[in-house]
Amino acid sequence: MYRRVSILLRKHFVSVLILCASIVIPFSAVKAADPAKGKQIFQQNCASCHNVHKKLTGPALAGVEGRWSDKKLLHQWIHNSASVLASGDKYANDLFNEYNKTAMTAFPALSNEDIDDILAFIKVEEAKPVGGAKPEGGTATAGAKEQGSDNSLLFGIITLILAVVALILMQINSNLNKLAGDKEGQPTPEPIPFYKNKAYIALAILVLFMVGGYFTIQGAIGLGRQKDYMPEQPIFYSHKVHAGINQINCLYCHAGAEKSKHAMIPSENICMNCHKAIKEYSGPELFTAEGKKVDGTAEIAKLYDYVGWDAEKGKYTKPGRPIEWTKIHNLPDHVYFNHSQHTVAGKQQCQTCHGNITEMDEVHQFADLSMGWCINCHRTTKVQFADNNYYSIFEKLHQDIKDKKIDSVTVEMVGGTECQKCHY
Amino acid sequence: MKRTSNILIVAALATGAFLAACNKGEHNRKPGRIYMPDMYESRAYEFYSARLAGLKPVDGTVKRGELLPYHLKEADTAQANLVKNPLTITADDLKEGERLFNIYCGICHGTALDGNGPLYKGGEGPYSAAPANLVAGAKSGYSEGRLFHVMTYGYNMMGSYASQLDRAQRWKIAAYIKSKQPGAAAQPAAAAAPAADSATAK
Repeated sequence: MYRRVSILLRKHFVSVLILCASIVIPFSAVKAADPAKGKQIFQQNCASCHNVHKKLTGPALAGVEGRWSDKKLLHQWIHNSASVLASGDKYANDLFNEYNKTAMTAFPALSNEDIDDILAFIKVEEAKPVGGAKPEGGTATAGAKEQGSDNSLLFGIITLILAVVALILMQINSNLNKLAGDKEGQPTPEPIPFYKNKAYIALAILVLFMVGGYFTIQGAIGLGRQKDYMPEQPIFYSHKVHAGINQINCLYCHAGAEKSKHAMIPSENICMNCHKAIKEYSGPELFTAEGKKVDGTAEIAKLYDYVGWDAEKGKYTKPGRPIEWTKIHNLPDHVYFNHSQHTVAGKQQCQTCHGNITEMDEVHQFADLSMGWCINCHRTTKVQFADNNYYSIFEKLHQDIKDKKIDSVTVEMVGGTECQKCHY
Repeated sequence: MKRTSNILIVAALATGAFLAACNKGEHNRKPGRIYMPDMYESRAYEFYSARLAGLKPVDGTVKRGELLPYHLKEADTAQANLVKNPLTITADDLKEGERLFNIYCGICHGTALDGNGPLYKGGEGPYSAAPANLVAGAKSGYSEGRLFHVMTYGYNMMGSYASQLDRAQRWKIAAYIKSKQPGAAAQPAAAAAPAADSATAK
């Protein structure tokens, strides 16, 4: 058996050899420029300064092979860019000057195969469409929102129809009564026109009084309150995209919330921390409250215009000007409010007062910021009393807790409802 | 009497319809009316106006209780490497450093400090430049002074964080990063509580 196989092998030695070769050769060819391996090397070594499609610290790498006259020179550039610059190559020197004379880090450790892998990866990426497919998620929610605002109108119409039906039924009822009365020979009094009917008049007055009174009181209470206020901002900045989808902490931008009275509207340099590199919007579709579609990339371009950043050149080309955001949460001057007191000593979450910000594309005022609302919270909220240096001076309360006279301390108990805490 | 009750029902329905029709939309584009505008439109210092927004503190002033200014310029990286942490870092400071790192740095550099935060997600996230890996590779060898320098001035794609973090906070973050870097393994930071990082590096 074994001998037969070996004879067979010997007979077909050449064809076996060719078969082996045909299996191995394409394998080794793939290995020579493996985009998957290239991706790995690219992300480890190049990605912090280069992107395939976008200009970052260094140029976008799409079509890089075509731009260099000689592949060997490109290899040399990656191994040690200074040596290419020293050789006086014109393209290399122009590139160096274009990028503010920032020298490219030398990568002597990358072998030529590694570089070919990277180039193969870049070629694969080049072919892909920029930005990728955009997921469609926003349409459904926008539709739902429209339905929500339609509901009240629907209820109104239904109520009106019911009212008309009730009126007709009443008319029929009175007609039937009259007919029945006629049949039995009872004289029915001549009907009085409704505008002379005292019952009707009294009712109309009562209704007017109630409705008028309701609106007067509501209006008076609502004076100076702005619950649900949702102004249009100069840039469609979506908190849902930033704080929700991309999980950026509130404090990243509103750094003042822990340090000062104001939470701080972030200055533009904070926007540019990320938006130097994030030039396009690629998340789910955005809609204004009215259901109008928003082009996220155009909104980022507005930011660039404000700060004077030229995304093509990757430089600030003109003086920046402030973005005049519209203030939403506004307390009158006679109320003192301090963010750091609530977030640091009180350990409150932003969402307690600002609502579910991570779900809001456009921010609206969640709480009515009325005095009743403040006081209510101060009466019910328990202070984190233990291990909180801020409250160490309340010795009696500490003693009461120790003696088990009370089990917790509310804000009210540490003076949180006293007038001069907030009004002085 | 029967008739009056009928009328009452109709009236109630009509009022309901009227109120429902008057119900304004879900959100208001305009603020409500105010009474005593001088209380609402503050005459005190306000943000958002073109004239006052983004004013910097007067040059040369130091906020009360703040660390003294840092005088090295952006290009002085060689000197920055040698700067020592002026704070005595305690275990609490390291914990605070970690909290601040996770808020301000973790979004890009990752809470594991591996340069793979939620904004980058291995190249899948919106941020197109790979953030530096702080626990491996070239950046893992940075001194606290250099880390502070980068936080102050930014580096390549990274911007300056001086406007968000004051100097003491930046030093705490630098100490935290250092405590996570490979070289710090020999001196377990949390155990040597009061004299964790900078003190031993002196």
